[in-house]
This record gives sequence, C-alpha cells and structure tokens, in this order.
Amino acid sequence: MTMASSEKPAPAGRLPAVLLRLLASLERSWPFVAFFVGLFLCWEWSVDLFNIPAYILPKPSEIVAKGWADVPRLVDYFWITGMETFVGYFLAIAVGLPIGLAIAFSPLLRRTIYPFFVSLEMVPKIAFAPLFISWLGFGMLPKVIIVVLVCFFPVALNSIHAFGSLSDELTRFCRSTGAGVWRTFWKVRLPAALPQCFVGFKYAAVNATVGATIAEFIGSDQGLGFYIQIVTGNMRPDLAFAGIFFLTVLGLLLFGLVTLAEHLLIPWHISVRRH
Amino acid sequence: MAATIELRSLAKTYGFGPQAVYAFGPADLTIPSGSFVSLLGPSGCGKSTLLLMIAGLLAPSRGEILVGGKQVSGPRTDIGIMFQDNTLVPWRTVEGNVALQLELRGQKPSAHAGRINELLRSVQLEDFAKRRPHELSGGMQQRAAFCQALVHEPDTLLLDEPLGKLDAMTREGIRADLQTLWMKRKPTVVFVTHSIEEAVQLSSTVCVITPRPGRIECAIDIDLPWPRDLDVKSTPEFTDHVHRIQEIFRDYGVI
Repeated sequence: MTMASSEKPAPAGRLPAVLLRLLASLERSWPFVAFFVGLFLCWEWSVDLFNIPAYILPKPSEIVAKGWADVPRLVDYFWITGMETFVGYFLAIAVGLPIGLAIAFSPLLRRTIYPFFVSLEMVPKIAFAPLFISWLGFGMLPKVIIVVLVCFFPVALNSIHAFGSLSDELTRFCRSTGAGVWRTFWKVRLPAALPQCFVGFKYAAVNATVGATIAEFIGSDQGLGFYIQIVTGNMRPDLAFAGIFFLTVLGLLLFGLVTLAEHLLIPWHISVRRH
Repeated sequence: MAATIELRSLAKTYGFGPQAVYAFGPADLTIPSGSFVSLLGPSGCGKSTLLLMIAGLLAPSRGEILVGGKQVSGPRTDIGIMFQDNTLVPWRTVEGNVALQLELRGQKPSAHAGRINELLRSVQLEDFAKRRPHELSGGMQQRAAFCQALVHEPDTLLLDEPLGKLDAMTREGIRADLQTLWMKRKPTVVFVTHSIEEAVQLSSTVCVITPRPGRIECAIDIDLPWPRDLDVKSTPEFTDHVHRIQEIFRDYGVI
C-alpha cells in the first residue's frame, strides 16, 4: 500500500509565519505563565485558608477589582512616573556613555575621575534624594536627577570597561592598517564595546524605576511612588498592589525596549544568539 | 616587491633597574626579500616580541630594524599580520572580515570584490563567505584570518603562531594552504612557531632562538625542494634538520 503524502494536510507548513512565531513564543513561555498562574492561585486560596485579613494581604481577585476601579488615576500616575523614569534613564545614557568613553581613553581621567566615580558608586544614591527635593522642590526635575544618578554609574562604569578592553590582537591589527582613531572607533571599537555597554544599560533599566519610585516616596504629590505611599497609609494594600503592578509594567516596558535594542544592534553576540 | 629586513643589535627589555626583564636579544639577522623565515624557540623566548618589533608595533630598547634600508620607527602598514587568536570580528561575515582590512585602510571593498572572492576560493571558503565567524570551525576561522591578512597584498607577512590552537590534521591542511599562498606571490614571511617539524617543513630558513633572554643561536637554511607535502617528512634530509635543531634545544635543556 502506498500513501500519497502530498494529499495529507500539512497544517504547520500552511500557517502564516506570524502565527507560527506566536505559537513558538507561547511554547517557550508557557512554563513562565503556568508559574505565575499557580502562584496567584496559591495566593488566592491561602488568604481564605489562613483567614488573613484584607488590610494585611488582599486576594489577587480583590486587587484586580479595586485596582480596576482606580485605573484612571493609576494610568495618570503611570505616565508621570514613566516620564521621570524614561527621561532620567536616557539622560543617564546620554551623559554616562561619553564620560565612560572619555575615561577609557584618557589616562589622566582614569587616574582622577574614575576613582571618584567608583567611590561614589558605593554611596546609596537614594541618600541624595532629600537634598535634591529640598533644593529643587516637588516637581519632576529632582526625580529625574535621582533616576539619572541611579542609572549613570552602571552605564558609565560598563562603558569604561567596554571601550577599554579591546583585545591586544585587534588593537595591533588596527594599528597595522594605519587606520586613524575615528575609523578604528567606528569600524572596530564601538561595535566591540556594545555588548558590555548593554550590560550597563540593562542594569540601569532595572534600577531606573526604583530611583523614580523612591524619589516620589520622599517628596512628591503625584506618581506611582506617591500613590503607593498614600494608599498604604490609608490601609489599602489592595490599591498598593495595583500600584506595584503598574510599576512592574513600567519596569518591564523599559527593560523590554532595551532588550529589543540589544537584539537589533548586536544580533551577532552570544548573549543574544543563545536566546 | 618585498624589501629585505635587517635586525641590527636588536634587543628588548621590559621594566627598569633590578626589575628589568631581558625579553630578547641582542641579535643581528638579515631576512632576504621573498624568504620564508621561521622563528623557532621555546615559550617565553621572545619570538612574539621580535615579531612585534619587526611589525613596528613595539619599540626596541636597543638596536634598530631596517626595512629596505629604512629604519622602522612606527607601525608598518605594508604588512599583513596574524596572531594565535584570530582578528575576525563577530559582527561581520567572513567576507566582511576580509574587507575590514581594506576598509581600515580607507579602501572600498567593492573595488576589490574579485580579489576577496579569489582568496576565499583559494582556501575553500567561498561557500562560507556570508557566514559569521562563530559558524565556522577553528581551522576555517584561521583560513579566513589568512585571507584577511593577505587581501591588501602585503609585501611582508608576519605570523605569530597562527596554527597554535588547531588540531594536528587541521594544521597540516592550513600549512599546505600557507605554502601555496607563499609560493604564488612570494611575500617575505616571518613565522613564529615552537614546532620544529612545522618550521622545517615550511621555511627557507629556520632561526633557532635560545631560552630567555632569547638570542638567535643560528639560522639554518632548509634546502628541501618545494612544494613540501607530507612525504617530505619521511626524507632523510628533513629528519637530519629536525635532529640538528633538537640537539640544539637539548643542549639548552629545553627538551
């Protein structure tokens, strides 16, 4: 007996590419989704099982219901904290990257500013928050500065490392071609430095929302940090969790953007290839 | 036309005073134009230091290097250079990596596309031109690095243990490629190795370098016929050269 394989339907081959990619993505992410669904179910049942009062730990279903009712305010505050986070983050990159580059190439700066930066990195940047609030008031500027301060060091320190660690072989190869500083920079040094720079960008992205939120805790009249502080004081942990959810979305959005940029700019790097 | 390379009382010391490390020399040597000279010696004898000085990438502490009668006082751009760790960059394809040599020199790779293809074909990499280095084996990567070092048609090729990290079979294949490339254009080749057999098989002259501080013990002319394939290793002449060099290293307690 023979079977004409061409007559059999080949669903995988005929599905649109986008749908196939979506299915592949779901296949990869189902353990992650299953973990969180399981976690929230455990949480929901544990609150009933152990009779935990709602003012201590509300159920996820209550958080969703109460948070949903307050979504307009949460969305407003999301944009405010988001603006502080994004502006501060990109300013930190705009300042940190060239400074890191300058230190990597200047022995004088390496001996002067670099040790100062390393010492400053040891100081919790949040300690500066009250000072900035008292100098600059309750507006957006002090929060942006705190985010810049929190994000600047990982960006700058990783840039110093990135631009200062081209292999001896590549350095000698470039010199043997007679290429000038700029040509060597664009063709070799910059692309070679990008993977390490992204380590700094990602670390800074993780910390950016932390900086904005804590700055809002210390002195603000709007934003998600302010919201969480107020609702917690009013014994409304359900709304506090809703605020935390929005902060998480903000953090993931920034981190996702940086990861997307990493995939677009350094698709050849092992850290990207492996994923 | 490749120029003669002359080393005159050349020496290199790292550090000063009691901390000084005498890395190489003093040594005198003349490398004739179009010859294939191997620098053969144990690890740490200053072979790579000497190669970097010839490339103008490292300043001598004493003495001088003359290329075509002119003193080398900075990085030479008329050379092709290769190291044990290749200089292929991961963000470019094989073809792009070969072209990088030209781009860094301010030349348009499109104007040399034919030469790039010809070089890749000569080392059997034409089907891998669009692949990135991580998609190639170690041997293929070194072959691509050869093309990168040769694409601008240098008069002098400086090779710092380029086969050091490869397995024996791959080494043999690349030795054959290297020999073919050298015989075709006859650039002056300075080849650093610590393999006696490799030096004898490939070279017109083997410079035996003593343990640190490295000095050139002797320069042995290898008068075996070209091309030298695997069969040359079983000839009495080849074995004689190998034994002679082994004796020198045995006297120094290296082997």
